[in-house]
Order: sequence, then structure tokens, then C-alpha cells
Amino acid sequence: MTDAATPVAIADQPIVGRNLPRLDATAKVTGRAVYTVDVEKPGMLHAKVLRSPHAHARILSIDASAARSMAGVTAVVTRDEIQGLNCYGTYVKDQPIVASDSVRYVGDVVAAVAAEDERTAFAALDLIRVSYELLPAVFDPQAALDPSAPLIFPEEPFAAFPDYGDGASGTALSGHNVSYEFRYQTGPENAWTECDYIFEDTFTFSRMNHMHLEPFATVAVATSEEIEVWTSTQSPFPMRQELAKIFGLAENRIRVNVPLLGGAFGAKNGPKTEPIAIRLSQLSGGRPVRYSMATEEVFLTLSQHDAVLTVKSGLKADGEFVARQSRVLLNGGAYADASPLVAEKAGYRMPGAYRWKRIDSVCQAVITNTVPAGAFRGFGATQATWASERQVDLIAERLGLDPLELRLKNVKNLGEDFVPGETPIDSDLKHGLNLVADAIGYRNRDRSGNRGMGVAIGLKDGGGVNKPAQARVKVTANGDVVLNCGLTEMGQGGHSALCQIVAEVLACDPQRVKYAPIDTDNTPFDQGTNASSGIAVMGQAVLQAAERVRNSVLDFAAENMDLDRESIRLVNWQIIDSDGKTHPLSPHIMHSFGGTGFEFTADGYFKVRGSLRAPLEAPCVFWEIGWAAAEVSVDPETGKVELLQLVVSGDAGKVVNKLGCRGQDEGAAVFGLAQALFEEMRYNDDGQLLNAEALLYRVPLAEDIPRRFSSITQEQGHGAGPFGAKGMGEGGMLPIAPAIAQAIADATGGQLTSLPMTPERVYNAVRVAQAHQRRG
Amino acid sequence: MSLDSQDPRAAGSDEPTVELEFELNGSVEKQAVPTSTTVLDLLRNGFGKRGVRSSCERSVCGACTVLVDDLPVAACSTFAFDIDGTRVETVEGLAAHDGTLSAQQRAFRECGGFQCGFCTSGMLMLTTGLLRANPQPDREEIREWISSNTCRCTGYEMILESVERAAELAREREPDEESS
Ligand code: FES
Ligand code: FES
Repeated sequence: MTDAATPVAIADQPIVGRNLPRLDATAKVTGRAVYTVDVEKPGMLHAKVLRSPHAHARILSIDASAARSMAGVTAVVTRDEIQGLNCYGTYVKDQPIVASDSVRYVGDVVAAVAAEDERTAFAALDLIRVSYELLPAVFDPQAALDPSAPLIFPEEPFAAFPDYGDGASGTALSGHNVSYEFRYQTGPENAWTECDYIFEDTFTFSRMNHMHLEPFATVAVATSEEIEVWTSTQSPFPMRQELAKIFGLAENRIRVNVPLLGGAFGAKNGPKTEPIAIRLSQLSGGRPVRYSMATEEVFLTLSQHDAVLTVKSGLKADGEFVARQSRVLLNGGAYADASPLVAEKAGYRMPGAYRWKRIDSVCQAVITNTVPAGAFRGFGATQATWASERQVDLIAERLGLDPLELRLKNVKNLGEDFVPGETPIDSDLKHGLNLVADAIGYRNRDRSGNRGMGVAIGLKDGGGVNKPAQARVKVTANGDVVLNCGLTEMGQGGHSALCQIVAEVLACDPQRVKYAPIDTDNTPFDQGTNASSGIAVMGQAVLQAAERVRNSVLDFAAENMDLDRESIRLVNWQIIDSDGKTHPLSPHIMHSFGGTGFEFTADGYFKVRGSLRAPLEAPCVFWEIGWAAAEVSVDPETGKVELLQLVVSGDAGKVVNKLGCRGQDEGAAVFGLAQALFEEMRYNDDGQLLNAEALLYRVPLAEDIPRRFSSITQEQGHGAGPFGAKGMGEGGMLPIAPAIAQAIADATGGQLTSLPMTPERVYNAVRVAQAHQRRG
Repeated sequence: MSLDSQDPRAAGSDEPTVELEFELNGSVEKQAVPTSTTVLDLLRNGFGKRGVRSSCERSVCGACTVLVDDLPVAACSTFAFDIDGTRVETVEGLAAHDGTLSAQQRAFRECGGFQCGFCTSGMLMLTTGLLRANPQPDREEIREWISSNTCRCTGYEMILESVERAAELAREREPDEESS
């Protein structure tokens, strides 16, 4: 690439929106892309950890003396080596680096070893003797709430919660084994009196593992004064802050470097391998320590939240929605992790896409003796959408209405408030519903042969809560561009899309824009790559930085070339004047600045405006919507579901990279279809995960994808991001399971309320429906 | 990722070793390795072929797929002694020496058959093996073949299209054979 001719932009063709290959394509198809697992440092040691075989036990003693004296072992971390270090977690800081008083789930980390190679580290783990006193355990969130259930944190951990706006409130540690409770209310309480019908239903939601192919990995170089890590995190700055708190160091003593991520889907927020690698490096005289998990360990580290959701909805005789009340219990697992935030969102998003006069929702994150649950694609909205959309279908059936028409009657209009104080809905929801319905032929469907169709919609507030982002763009004297910002690349194509935005503003070939490696010493601040905020939030900061650079270049040109500032343009590092004459910039820059010339630099900054009225601290940046339509055929004798067609649609607002948008929606849809039909972490009654490894855990393969599977990327143009763009990548997951569930109901009458919709569950639901029919 | 640290050439003297001779991306290699060494260890740590990815190490995900005598093999679950006398190909061997991308690589690049890229080396080697076995596979055959590997990001549709496009590009390169 180095000696290739300087690429130039194709005149008059916008860069944004084109079907360009991503900028990381060549590195990825040649195998040259570097992930954290590829990072190697001279003299690097390797870490392995000892995990708890018990779901809940008090640690009576740990004897690691034999491991410590083994040849090749440089350090062992047990609770004795973490004295004085702090616990971590969002809002609720309850997770220690290694277990101190007790273990709280099967897989909880008890000790860690650093050694010259992994075999020695494994061998040393075998020499560590731990004696436990078994404690009663609880795995089910409903059971954990009972005052007679074992209390998993007898001593209350440190906890804080945000300053919510109108109608919202949060309480940490609000009840027996509850880490966080979120409540939201709006509208008149007496709205219920207007209702002709009130229905209450309960739904359950299963738990998935992220199963990103690159495991959690860190290489740490650390002393008691200074820490540097290369790590697979989505959120370099929050990571730096959390590490500073854990280790009691100033943030400028900590440097976080982030290579490419081999998938994340929410899992790579918050400490995973970092604290252990750091502590082991500190105890090994500052030698580099690599801790890279095996896939089995990833399963024991973080998961999605399973949930029980009870929804009560009231409506008028003609099907108009009036009031909704919901109670959601999220299974947060043994440590809070991001559970409070997920609880906030699962509670807040219960209204779904519909108009209600009264909303009353509560969501509790419950602590149980299972793998900690945290951020996962969809972030609380997948749980909420499953229950919310499923109940719309149950209501439609009870009232003899068409589920699509019931949705169209109640769905919010473009520009209508989601709730008071919140950003108005910025997509035409009806348009999207009709689009996916028409794409599978919903209105003329042939239901013979146990076939049926369903349509669903999910939405989530996108762009993060009150999230700031900064970016810096530099251009060399020769017009080569470096973009510096903290958006991590985990597959979503964010780096490429942001470089395209810069190229668009500077009117140059995107290949000339380099995305600088991320390290917290040099990269401008960012709150983390999550909540689909890359394009809409970081994109604005990048756009601003690029525009400011362009302006300073134009100012320079006007002054030095004696041109009229208002009528000149920048194209391919040349100035075009009002007569269409081109003036190359480089010679002028060299002349003015001498030596090696100059770099034009500018920073950009974006944050959505705060508002005291907004329930969640600030109005959301945009609404991320997923529409889906599915067709299935069901074998009523076996309960086997065949997915015949699946159409998913998202609203990109404005497409920056076509391939990227399509990939985000399709990838999300496949997560959704797996959760709908088969993918699930299974526990036995003792809280042992039964399928916590790749061999036993079934993720979708190409053969699971329906023959007719497509995505429709809408560009409705109302997004808050650059050029009207919105974030993508989570919305596509939300409507899939409910759309498939309704298709099954349409085909057989069987209504499912639990995920995944296994043949057994489908068979039973069909039997129940048949029994009803016979009676009716 | 277990045993990622093992440099097979630096093995302790107490482990029995085996002499290997094999072809790696076109060049002949000789190597003595401990008998327990996997092809994944050998390629990643012994030969620095970091494009060979490692994920499940259980022969499930296919991220580590390489070609052994034209057939896709899970490098994590194959012993190094099994490749004695064979022809091994990794993603590093796909592009020409001057950096020109192969048809498969160009197709994945053009059709967006990747996102995080962690499965991509394996998917490219699968595609290479498939197109050698059948230069004109139909979608069903592609789907079946690709189903040996996991991609958690793309939703597969764009991978299927990438493989179709790879077949097309490979045929374009041989217009004579195409027209005959
Ligand atoms: S790493 Fe070899 S098959 Fe998964
Ligand atoms: S691109 Fe991420 S696993 Fe396939």
C-alpha cells in the first residue's frame, strides 16, 4: 500500500452512502488484522485461574504455598494479595478481583497464577488447596427475592445511582438479593378506569452467551505505580477509570491500549481479564502477563439476563391501548456488573412502540448464584420487546383482531413523544411495519399446510445516556489524514464509517484517512463503544473535527493564496477557486511553515443536551427501531418449526456504509432467531451450567438461516447523527423472536410465552390450542 | 486460549519429539516438535502464522481452519505429526507475493463477508477448499460447506454471497477454461 499512487476521490460522487469495501477489509482478508490475543511482549508470562466448583460457599482457607514454590511460577493471587484493592461494577461495586469471603457461582474466580508458560500455570493451579463450607444457593430470580432465600451479599456493597428526571427513580440494594430497582411512571393513574378490557400475562426470557469468537484477553505490564494494558475492551476510558479505582492509582498512571476486537456484543464492557493480569504483573516484578481465557471460561464470565416479565395492559373495546403496567425480574447472576443499567432500560422500554396514557413499570435486577449477567446486544430491550410484543399478539387473538392492524392502530407516529421529556420518535414506524409485512406477503398469506406469518416491532433509545464524545482530525502537509478517537472496532465497521465521514468532509479518498490506534494517553476522551452510539454520537464529534480542519485549511489558503475565502473549496488536498482553477496546497504549506511543513489539527466534541425533564438524565440521541416479519411452517406432530422466510429492517437514518448497515441488521437478526428457536444457556437444579462450552452450546450456523432471509435498510433521514444517520446493530435483534412466535400462533393457534421455542414447547402450545378449539 | 504460549521449538527435553517435513504455503519446512503439539500451536507459535485464529479449540467453530492437501482441517484439533508429508495452506498463502489478493479475498472484501474478521481466515480457507473441489458450487452446497464454521457477526448471508462471488471471480480469471 505504501508505494501505491495517492488515491483520489472520484469527483462529484459522495463517499458517504457508497457501497465501498470497509477500510479494514484488506487487513482482515489477509489475516494481518491484530487482535489482543495476538499481542506479544518480550518476557511475557501467562496467567491461568482457579474457579469455584460450588455455586455458593464460604472460603475457609486457601493454601497456595506449593503453587508459589513451583519452578516457573512467578506469582499467585489469592484473597491475601488483593487486600486494600477495591471491587468493581456499574453503580453497585460488588465484584472483587478474586473471591475474598465466599464464592457466589460455579466458575467464580478463587485464585490466579502467572508462570513462564500456560502448562506450568495449569499445573500450579492443581496445587492450590481451597477448603469451602457449602452454603445454600439460589438460581431463580423469583425464588431469590423470598426473605427465606440465602442472602448472597450479607454485607452491602458500595452502591450509587443516577439523578433521574420526571417519573423515573432508582434504588440500589432495594430488597432481598436485589442489586437495583428501576421504576418509571407517567400519565394519570385513573386511566385504568377508561379500559374496557384488562389483560395480564407472564412471559419468560432465556439466557444467551455472547460467544464472541475472540475470548476476553489482556496483556498487562504493571507495577504499583504504573499500569499499561493491551486489552479487548469496548470502553477504554471507563476501563481506565475502573482500574484507577480498583488499584487506587491516578488515571494518568494507567494506559489502556485497544487493538481490534473479535466480536463483543456488549460483553467487553467492564473488567474481565484486566485486574488479574495487572495484579499478577505487579507481583511478578512488572513483567508482562498475558491472560487470555478459553471459550469455556468466557461462558463462566458473563451472559445475557434471563427474565420473568409480567405485563398488564388495558384497552378500549375498539382496540385502542390505554394503560400498561409491568413488572420485570432480571436474573443478574452473582455480581451486579451492568445489571442496574440493563434494569433501567428493560423497565423504561416496556411501553414499546405504542401510545399509552398511563405507564407504570418496575424492573428489578436480582442477584442469584449464576454467571453474572451484563450488557448484551439489545440491552434490556430484547427482554422488554419479547413480552411487550407477545402480549399485543395475545390481545389481538382474544379480541379477534388482526395483529398487524392492532399494531398499526396503536403505534406512535413520527414526531410523537415516547414519554414526556424524551426525544420524539424519529422514524415512521407504520411505514416500516407495512414494509416488512408486504415484503413477505403478509396480507395475502396462504396459511394452508400449517404455515403462518407474524410481524413485530422493537425499539430502544439509542446513543447512550448523556454521552459525550471527542475526536481529533489531523492532516499532514501532504494531505494524509489521521483520525483519532476512541471508538473501538469490534466488527461493526465503525472505524471505516468514521473515516468515510472525514473523507467526505475533506473531499479525499477514504483510503487516505487512517484510524489511529487507540490508547487512553493519546486518544481523545470517549464514554465507550456501546448503545449503537458510534455513528450518531462519535460521528458528530468526528464530523465537527473534520469540518474545523477543513475550515482552518481554507482560512490558510485564502490568506496565503490571496483567494476569496467564501468561494473556494477543498478537493483532494487542492484548493478549487471560483473559476474552477486548482491550486495544490502542499507547496504553499511548505513555503509558509518551512522544514517539514505543518499539520492542521482540530478537535470535535458532541454531547446531547441534558434536560431535567428527561426521565433518564438526558433525552436519547435517536430511536433505534427493528421491524421484522417471519413465515414459518410447523409440524404439529413434533413441534418442529421451520423458518421459511425472515425479513428484518432497520432505519439507518442515512446510510454511511451500505455493507456495514446490512451486516449489522442481518447479524442482529440471526442472534434473534437463535434466541427464538434454540440458543440458550441451560442450568441443572444445582446451578451447574450444562452447556458452557462450544461443543454443547448451539449457536446458529449457515444452515440455520432461512432460505429466504433478507434485510431492508431504510433511510428515513431523521437521525441526529451526521447527514441524518442513526445507529444500527441492536434494533435488528428485538423483533425477531416475537415475529416468529406470532407466525407459529398464526400457523397453529399455539401461543408461546417462553423462549427458546423448542419443539417440546411448540408441541405443548399446539396441544393447548387444539384443546381450546375442541371445547370452544 | 490454552497453550497459545507454547513455542513448539522450545519444548523441554523430556518430551518425546517427532520430525516433520511438510510444505507450508509453498515452501518446504522441517521441524522437530513434541508429539503433543497441535497444528494450531505449530502454525501460530512456531511459524508466526497469526492469521490462523484460535477460538473454541474444540473443533467446533472453525476459526482455525487451514487446508491440508486441499482439505479444510481444524488446526486446533489436529496433531502436528499428522501433517508430516502434506501440503499445508494458511490465509497468509492466499495473496500473491506482490500483495495481489486472491479471488476469494477480493470477493469477501467486496461483498462484506466479514465484520470482526475473527472467523474470516477460516471462512476463506473453507472457500478455497470448496472451490478446488467444485469450482461452480450452488448455494445449497455453499451453505452446507460453510456450516462447518461459526460466524457470530454477519448473519451468514453476506458470507454466502462472498463465496458465490469468489467462484465468479475465480472463473473470470480463467476465461479460456470458461469459454471452452
Ligand atoms: S479453534 Fe479450532 S475449531 Fe474452533
Ligand atoms: S466476522 Fe466476526 S465471527 Fe465472523
